[in-house]
Amino acid sequence: MKKLIILILGFYFLTLFQISFFPHFFLTNSLNFILILVVLINLFEPRKEKLGLFSAFFGGFFLDIFSENFFGFWVLIFLAIAVFLKFILRKYVQIPIFKPT
Amino acid sequence: MKLSYRVRIGIISVLIVFFFLALNLTPVGKEVRNFFYLISEPIQKFFWRVGDRVSDFFELITEIKNLKKENEELKLRIQELMSEIVALKELKKENETLRKALGIGLEKEFKLVLAQVIGKDIFKDSILVNKGSRDNISKGLPVITEQKILIGKIKEVYENFSKVILISHQESSFDAKILEAEIYGVVKGKGNFKIFLELVPKEKEIRERDLLVTTALGGIFPKGLLVGEIKEVKKSDIEPFQQAEIKPFFDLKELEKLFIIFE
Repeated sequence: MKKLIILILGFYFLTLFQISFFPHFFLTNSLNFILILVVLINLFEPRKEKLGLFSAFFGGFFLDIFSENFFGFWVLIFLAIAVFLKFILRKYVQIPIFKPT
Repeated sequence: MKLSYRVRIGIISVLIVFFFLALNLTPVGKEVRNFFYLISEPIQKFFWRVGDRVSDFFELITEIKNLKKENEELKLRIQELMSEIVALKELKKENETLRKALGIGLEKEFKLVLAQVIGKDIFKDSILVNKGSRDNISKGLPVITEQKILIGKIKEVYENFSKVILISHQESSFDAKILEAEIYGVVKGKGNFKIFLELVPKEKEIRERDLLVTTALGGIFPKGLLVGEIKEVKKSDIEPFQQAEIKPFFDLKELEKLFIIFE
Protein backbone atom coordinates (compact mmCIF):
# COMPACT_ATOMS: atom_id res chain seq x y z
CA MET A 1 0.00 0.00 0.00
CA LYS A 2 2.85 2.33 0.90
CA LYS A 3 4.51 1.56 -2.45
CA LEU A 4 1.27 2.36 -4.28
CA ILE A 5 0.85 5.73 -2.58
CA ILE A 6 4.45 6.68 -3.41
CA LEU A 7 3.84 5.54 -6.99
CA ILE A 8 0.66 7.66 -7.35
CA LEU A 9 2.33 10.76 -5.88
CA GLY A 10 5.44 10.17 -8.01
CA PHE A 11 3.43 10.00 -11.22
CA TYR A 12 1.36 13.03 -10.23
CA PHE A 13 4.45 15.20 -9.74
CA LEU A 14 6.16 13.80 -12.82
CA THR A 15 3.09 14.74 -14.89
CA LEU A 16 3.19 18.29 -13.52
CA PHE A 17 6.89 18.44 -14.30
CA GLN A 18 6.24 17.11 -17.79
CA ILE A 19 3.60 19.71 -18.69
CA SER A 20 4.95 22.76 -16.84
CA PHE A 21 8.74 22.42 -16.70
CA PHE A 22 9.88 20.40 -19.73
CA PRO A 23 8.07 22.48 -22.43
CA HIS A 24 10.73 25.14 -21.86
CA PHE A 25 13.48 22.92 -23.20
CA PHE A 26 13.94 21.93 -26.81
CA LEU A 27 15.30 18.46 -26.05
CA THR A 28 12.70 17.46 -23.48
CA ASN A 29 9.73 19.20 -25.11
CA SER A 30 8.20 16.15 -26.73
CA LEU A 31 9.81 13.36 -24.74
CA ASN A 32 7.25 11.40 -22.78
CA PHE A 33 8.96 10.81 -19.44
CA ILE A 34 5.89 9.14 -17.97
CA LEU A 35 5.99 6.51 -20.72
CA ILE A 36 9.71 6.00 -20.12
CA LEU A 37 9.11 5.47 -16.38
CA VAL A 38 6.22 3.06 -17.02
CA VAL A 39 8.40 1.01 -19.37
CA LEU A 40 11.31 0.98 -16.90
CA ILE A 41 9.12 -0.13 -13.99
CA ASN A 42 7.63 -2.91 -16.10
CA LEU A 43 11.03 -4.05 -17.30
CA PHE A 44 12.76 -4.18 -13.96
CA GLU A 45 10.13 -5.18 -11.41
CA PRO A 46 9.96 -8.82 -10.29
CA ARG A 47 7.79 -10.85 -12.65
CA LYS A 48 4.88 -11.60 -10.32
CA GLU A 49 4.58 -8.00 -9.05
CA LYS A 50 1.74 -5.83 -10.33
CA LEU A 51 3.25 -2.42 -9.68
CA GLY A 52 3.97 -2.04 -13.41
CA LEU A 53 0.27 -2.31 -14.23
CA PHE A 54 -0.64 0.21 -11.54
CA SER A 55 2.05 2.57 -12.81
CA ALA A 56 0.59 2.27 -16.35
CA PHE A 57 -2.89 3.06 -15.03
CA PHE A 58 -1.99 6.04 -12.85
CA GLY A 59 0.63 7.45 -15.25
CA GLY A 60 -1.92 7.30 -18.06
CA PHE A 61 -4.69 8.71 -15.89
CA PHE A 62 -2.71 11.79 -14.84
CA LEU A 63 -1.55 12.37 -18.39
CA ASP A 64 -5.17 12.13 -19.58
CA ILE A 65 -6.25 14.72 -17.03
CA PHE A 66 -3.67 17.24 -18.19
CA SER A 67 -3.93 16.57 -21.92
CA GLU A 68 -6.45 17.33 -24.63
CA ASN A 69 -7.41 13.72 -25.25
CA PHE A 70 -10.41 11.87 -23.87
CA PHE A 71 -10.15 10.06 -20.53
CA GLY A 72 -8.64 6.65 -21.03
CA PHE A 73 -6.50 7.49 -24.07
CA TRP A 74 -3.12 7.25 -22.36
CA VAL A 75 -4.36 4.67 -19.84
CA LEU A 76 -5.19 2.27 -22.67
CA ILE A 77 -1.85 2.86 -24.43
CA PHE A 78 0.19 2.45 -21.25
CA LEU A 79 -1.75 -0.61 -20.08
CA ALA A 80 -1.31 -2.25 -23.48
CA ILE A 81 2.45 -1.57 -23.33
CA ALA A 82 2.69 -2.88 -19.76
CA VAL A 83 0.75 -6.09 -20.53
CA PHE A 84 2.80 -6.64 -23.70
CA LEU A 85 6.10 -6.20 -21.81
CA LYS A 86 4.98 -8.54 -19.03
CA PHE A 87 3.91 -11.15 -21.57
CA ILE A 88 7.20 -10.95 -23.50
CA LEU A 89 9.31 -11.03 -20.33
CA ARG A 90 7.41 -13.95 -18.85
CA LYS A 91 7.39 -16.05 -22.02
CA TYR A 92 10.62 -15.34 -23.83
CA VAL A 93 13.19 -13.53 -21.69
CA GLN A 94 15.41 -15.12 -19.10
CA ILE A 95 17.68 -12.72 -17.22
CA PRO A 96 19.71 -14.58 -14.57
CA ILE A 97 20.07 -11.60 -12.21
CA PHE A 98 16.29 -11.32 -11.79
CA LYS A 99 14.71 -14.14 -9.87
CA PRO A 100 11.53 -15.44 -11.53
CA THR A 101 9.46 -14.94 -8.37
CA MET B 1 -16.83 -18.47 -2.96
CA LYS B 2 -13.54 -17.48 -4.46
CA LEU B 3 -13.57 -16.09 -8.01
CA SER B 4 -11.07 -17.44 -10.50
CA TYR B 5 -8.20 -15.26 -11.72
CA ARG B 6 -9.73 -14.79 -15.20
CA VAL B 7 -13.13 -13.78 -13.81
CA ARG B 8 -11.48 -11.24 -11.52
CA ILE B 9 -9.52 -9.75 -14.42
CA GLY B 10 -12.74 -9.61 -16.47
CA ILE B 11 -14.64 -7.80 -13.70
CA ILE B 12 -11.82 -5.30 -13.19
CA SER B 13 -11.63 -4.61 -16.96
CA VAL B 14 -15.40 -4.01 -17.17
CA LEU B 15 -15.24 -1.68 -14.15
CA ILE B 16 -12.37 0.30 -15.74
CA VAL B 17 -14.32 0.64 -19.00
CA PHE B 18 -17.41 1.89 -17.13
CA PHE B 19 -15.27 4.27 -15.09
CA PHE B 20 -13.83 5.90 -18.22
CA LEU B 21 -17.17 5.93 -20.03
CA ALA B 22 -18.69 7.75 -17.06
CA LEU B 23 -15.82 10.28 -17.07
CA ASN B 24 -16.12 10.93 -20.80
CA LEU B 25 -19.88 10.95 -21.23
CA THR B 26 -20.98 12.83 -18.13
CA PRO B 27 -20.06 16.30 -16.79
CA VAL B 28 -18.12 14.54 -14.01
CA GLY B 29 -15.07 14.45 -16.31
CA LYS B 30 -14.94 18.23 -16.47
CA GLU B 31 -15.32 18.46 -12.69
CA VAL B 32 -12.49 15.96 -12.18
CA ARG B 33 -10.20 17.91 -14.52
CA ASN B 34 -11.08 21.21 -12.86
CA PHE B 35 -10.40 19.71 -9.42
CA PHE B 36 -6.95 18.48 -10.43
CA TYR B 37 -6.10 21.79 -12.16
CA LEU B 38 -7.18 23.65 -9.03
CA ILE B 39 -5.03 21.66 -6.61
CA SER B 40 -2.07 21.64 -9.01
CA GLU B 41 -2.15 25.33 -9.96
CA PRO B 42 0.42 26.59 -7.39
CA ILE B 43 2.87 23.78 -8.22
CA GLN B 44 2.39 24.27 -11.97
CA LYS B 45 2.95 28.03 -11.68
CA PHE B 46 6.14 27.33 -9.75
CA PHE B 47 7.40 24.74 -12.29
CA TRP B 48 6.53 27.04 -15.22
CA ARG B 49 8.48 29.94 -13.69
CA VAL B 50 11.48 27.77 -12.74
CA GLY B 51 11.50 26.19 -16.23
CA ASP B 52 11.45 29.65 -17.78
CA ARG B 53 14.43 30.82 -15.74
CA VAL B 54 16.48 27.65 -16.19
CA SER B 55 15.91 27.64 -19.97
CA ASP B 56 16.81 31.35 -20.13
CA PHE B 57 20.06 30.60 -18.33
CA PHE B 58 21.03 27.77 -20.70
CA GLU B 59 19.96 29.79 -23.73
CA LEU B 60 22.25 32.60 -22.60
CA ILE B 61 25.20 30.22 -22.46
CA THR B 62 24.54 28.68 -25.87
CA GLU B 63 23.61 31.93 -27.60
CA ILE B 64 26.42 34.08 -26.22
CA LYS B 65 28.36 33.86 -29.53
CA ASN B 66 25.47 35.12 -31.60
CA LEU B 67 24.47 37.90 -29.22
CA LYS B 68 26.81 40.53 -30.67
CA LYS B 69 25.69 39.92 -34.24
CA GLU B 70 22.05 39.86 -33.20
CA ASN B 71 22.51 43.06 -31.21
CA GLU B 72 23.84 44.90 -34.24
CA GLU B 73 20.99 43.62 -36.40
CA LEU B 74 18.45 44.68 -33.80
CA LYS B 75 19.98 48.15 -33.54
CA LEU B 76 19.54 48.59 -37.27
CA ARG B 77 15.99 47.30 -37.07
CA ILE B 78 15.22 49.75 -34.23
CA GLN B 79 16.41 52.64 -36.37
CA GLU B 80 14.17 51.49 -39.21
CA LEU B 81 11.23 51.12 -36.87
CA MET B 82 11.83 54.52 -35.25
CA SER B 83 11.52 56.26 -38.59
CA GLU B 84 8.40 54.22 -39.31
CA ILE B 85 6.91 55.24 -35.92
CA VAL B 86 7.45 58.92 -36.68
CA ALA B 87 5.66 58.53 -40.01
CA LEU B 88 2.85 56.56 -38.36
CA LYS B 89 2.42 59.16 -35.62
CA GLU B 90 1.86 61.82 -38.23
CA LEU B 91 -0.65 59.59 -39.98
CA LYS B 92 -2.39 58.95 -36.66
CA LYS B 93 -2.76 62.67 -36.04
CA GLU B 94 -4.12 63.15 -39.53
CA ASN B 95 -6.49 60.23 -39.04
CA GLU B 96 -7.80 61.64 -35.74
CA THR B 97 -8.36 65.08 -37.30
CA LEU B 98 -10.23 63.54 -40.21
CA ARG B 99 -12.31 61.35 -37.87
CA LYS B 100 -13.24 64.41 -35.82
CA ALA B 101 -14.13 66.31 -38.96
CA LEU B 102 -16.29 63.41 -40.20
CA GLY B 103 -17.82 62.80 -36.77
CA ILE B 104 -16.61 59.20 -36.45
CA GLY B 105 -15.52 58.11 -32.97
CA LEU B 106 -12.27 56.30 -32.36
CA GLU B 107 -12.44 52.53 -32.34
CA LYS B 108 -12.93 51.09 -28.91
CA GLU B 109 -10.08 49.06 -27.49
CA PHE B 110 -10.64 45.46 -26.51
CA LYS B 111 -12.04 44.43 -23.17
CA LEU B 112 -9.39 42.10 -21.75
CA VAL B 113 -8.94 39.59 -18.97
CA LEU B 114 -5.46 38.77 -17.70
CA ALA B 115 -4.60 35.06 -17.55
CA GLN B 116 -1.51 33.11 -16.64
CA VAL B 117 -0.12 30.10 -18.49
CA ILE B 118 0.36 27.11 -16.20
CA GLY B 119 0.94 24.17 -18.54
CA LYS B 120 1.29 22.83 -22.05
CA ASP B 121 -0.17 19.69 -23.57
CA ILE B 122 2.55 17.10 -24.16
CA PHE B 123 2.02 16.41 -27.88
CA LYS B 124 -0.48 19.03 -29.00
CA ASP B 125 -0.17 22.79 -29.45
CA SER B 126 -2.44 23.77 -26.62
CA ILE B 127 -1.89 25.44 -23.27
CA LEU B 128 -3.74 25.69 -19.99
CA VAL B 129 -4.56 29.12 -18.50
CA ASN B 130 -5.91 29.95 -15.07
CA LYS B 131 -9.19 31.62 -16.08
CA GLY B 132 -12.45 29.74 -16.59
CA SER B 133 -16.23 29.98 -16.66
CA ARG B 134 -16.17 31.64 -13.25
CA ASP B 135 -14.42 34.61 -14.93
CA ASN B 136 -17.04 34.61 -17.74
CA ILE B 137 -14.67 32.98 -20.23
CA SER B 138 -16.42 31.15 -23.05
CA LYS B 139 -15.42 28.92 -25.95
CA GLY B 140 -13.89 30.62 -29.00
CA LEU B 141 -12.59 33.81 -27.32
CA PRO B 142 -9.28 35.05 -28.81
CA VAL B 143 -6.12 35.04 -26.71
CA ILE B 144 -3.33 37.60 -27.25
CA THR B 145 -0.16 38.87 -25.59
CA GLU B 146 0.51 42.33 -24.21
CA GLN B 147 1.90 43.38 -27.61
CA LYS B 148 -1.32 42.34 -29.40
CA ILE B 149 0.29 39.23 -30.80
CA LEU B 150 -2.26 36.52 -31.53
CA ILE B 151 -1.75 33.33 -29.53
CA GLY B 152 -4.89 31.30 -30.23
CA LYS B 153 -8.41 30.81 -29.01
CA ILE B 154 -10.22 29.15 -26.13
CA LYS B 155 -11.13 25.57 -26.92
CA GLU B 156 -12.50 24.23 -23.68
CA VAL B 157 -13.68 25.97 -20.54
CA TYR B 158 -13.64 24.55 -17.02
CA GLU B 159 -14.82 26.29 -13.88
CA ASN B 160 -11.46 27.89 -13.03
CA PHE B 161 -9.33 27.05 -16.07
CA SER B 162 -9.41 27.02 -19.87
CA LYS B 163 -7.62 25.17 -22.64
CA VAL B 164 -6.25 27.44 -25.36
CA ILE B 165 -5.37 26.04 -28.78
CA LEU B 166 -2.43 27.90 -30.29
CA ILE B 167 -2.57 29.21 -33.86
CA SER B 168 -0.18 26.39 -34.76
CA HIS B 169 -2.68 23.73 -33.59
CA GLN B 170 -3.98 21.49 -36.37
CA GLU B 171 -7.56 22.61 -35.71
CA SER B 172 -6.67 26.29 -36.06
CA SER B 173 -7.57 28.09 -39.30
CA PHE B 174 -8.41 31.77 -39.87
CA ASP B 175 -8.19 34.60 -42.39
CA ALA B 176 -5.20 36.93 -42.44
CA LYS B 177 -3.55 39.44 -44.73
CA ILE B 178 -0.07 40.69 -45.43
CA LEU B 179 0.12 44.13 -43.91
CA GLU B 180 1.84 46.16 -46.61
CA ALA B 181 0.59 44.38 -49.70
CA GLU B 182 -3.09 43.74 -48.90
CA ILE B 183 -2.68 40.09 -49.89
CA TYR B 184 -5.29 37.87 -48.28
CA GLY B 185 -4.97 34.21 -47.38
CA VAL B 186 -5.87 31.55 -44.84
CA VAL B 187 -3.53 30.80 -41.94
CA LYS B 188 -3.54 27.13 -41.02
CA GLY B 189 -1.83 25.43 -38.11
CA LYS B 190 0.02 22.21 -38.90
CA GLY B 191 0.94 21.20 -35.36
CA ASN B 192 4.34 21.20 -33.69
CA PHE B 193 4.52 25.04 -33.86
CA LYS B 194 4.32 25.11 -37.66
CA ILE B 195 2.02 27.65 -39.33
CA PHE B 196 1.34 28.19 -43.03
CA LEU B 197 -0.33 30.89 -45.08
CA GLU B 198 -2.39 29.16 -47.75
CA LEU B 199 -4.81 29.90 -50.60
CA VAL B 200 -2.79 32.88 -51.84
CA PRO B 201 -3.02 33.18 -55.66
CA LYS B 202 0.30 32.48 -57.39
CA GLU B 203 0.46 35.83 -59.14
CA LYS B 204 0.59 37.75 -55.84
CA GLU B 205 4.09 38.47 -54.65
CA ILE B 206 4.92 37.50 -51.09
CA ARG B 207 8.31 38.39 -49.68
CA GLU B 208 10.19 37.00 -46.72
CA ARG B 209 9.79 39.02 -43.49
CA ASP B 210 6.41 40.42 -44.60
CA LEU B 211 4.17 40.99 -41.60
CA LEU B 212 0.91 39.12 -41.27
CA VAL B 213 -2.16 40.44 -39.39
CA THR B 214 -5.63 39.06 -38.79
CA THR B 215 -8.68 40.27 -40.72
CA ALA B 216 -12.27 40.39 -39.56
CA LEU B 217 -13.30 37.95 -42.31
CA GLY B 218 -14.75 34.77 -40.90
CA GLY B 219 -15.43 36.46 -37.58
CA ILE B 220 -12.98 34.31 -35.65
CA PHE B 221 -10.55 37.01 -34.53
CA PRO B 222 -10.72 40.82 -34.43
CA LYS B 223 -8.80 42.54 -37.20
CA GLY B 224 -5.31 43.91 -36.81
CA LEU B 225 -3.77 41.35 -34.45
CA LEU B 226 -0.18 40.41 -35.26
CA VAL B 227 0.23 36.82 -36.39
CA GLY B 228 3.87 36.51 -37.50
CA GLU B 229 6.23 37.12 -40.36
CA ILE B 230 6.78 35.21 -43.60
CA LYS B 231 9.66 32.79 -43.21
CA GLU B 232 9.69 30.94 -46.52
CA VAL B 233 7.56 31.08 -49.68
CA LYS B 234 6.75 27.82 -51.46
CA LYS B 235 5.49 27.84 -55.04
CA SER B 236 4.67 24.85 -57.17
CA ASP B 237 3.90 24.75 -60.91
CA ILE B 238 1.06 22.31 -60.52
CA GLU B 239 -0.69 24.11 -57.66
CA PRO B 240 -2.99 27.08 -58.36
CA PHE B 241 -2.07 28.68 -55.04
CA GLN B 242 1.17 29.41 -53.29
CA GLN B 243 2.02 28.64 -49.70
CA ALA B 244 4.24 30.40 -47.19
CA GLU B 245 5.63 29.25 -43.88
CA ILE B 246 5.06 31.72 -41.07
CA LYS B 247 7.33 32.37 -38.14
CA PRO B 248 5.04 33.18 -35.21
CA PHE B 249 5.85 36.21 -33.10
CA PHE B 250 5.32 34.42 -29.82
CA ASP B 251 7.70 32.03 -28.15
CA LEU B 252 5.96 29.49 -25.97
CA LYS B 253 8.91 29.36 -23.59
CA GLU B 254 8.55 33.06 -22.87
CA LEU B 255 4.77 33.08 -22.47
CA GLU B 256 3.57 33.71 -18.98
CA LYS B 257 0.90 36.41 -18.94
CA LEU B 258 -1.78 36.45 -21.63
CA PHE B 259 -4.94 38.41 -22.33
CA ILE B 260 -8.29 36.95 -23.29
CA ILE B 261 -10.39 39.31 -25.43
CA PHE B 262 -13.93 39.60 -24.14
CA GLU B 263 -15.40 42.11 -26.57
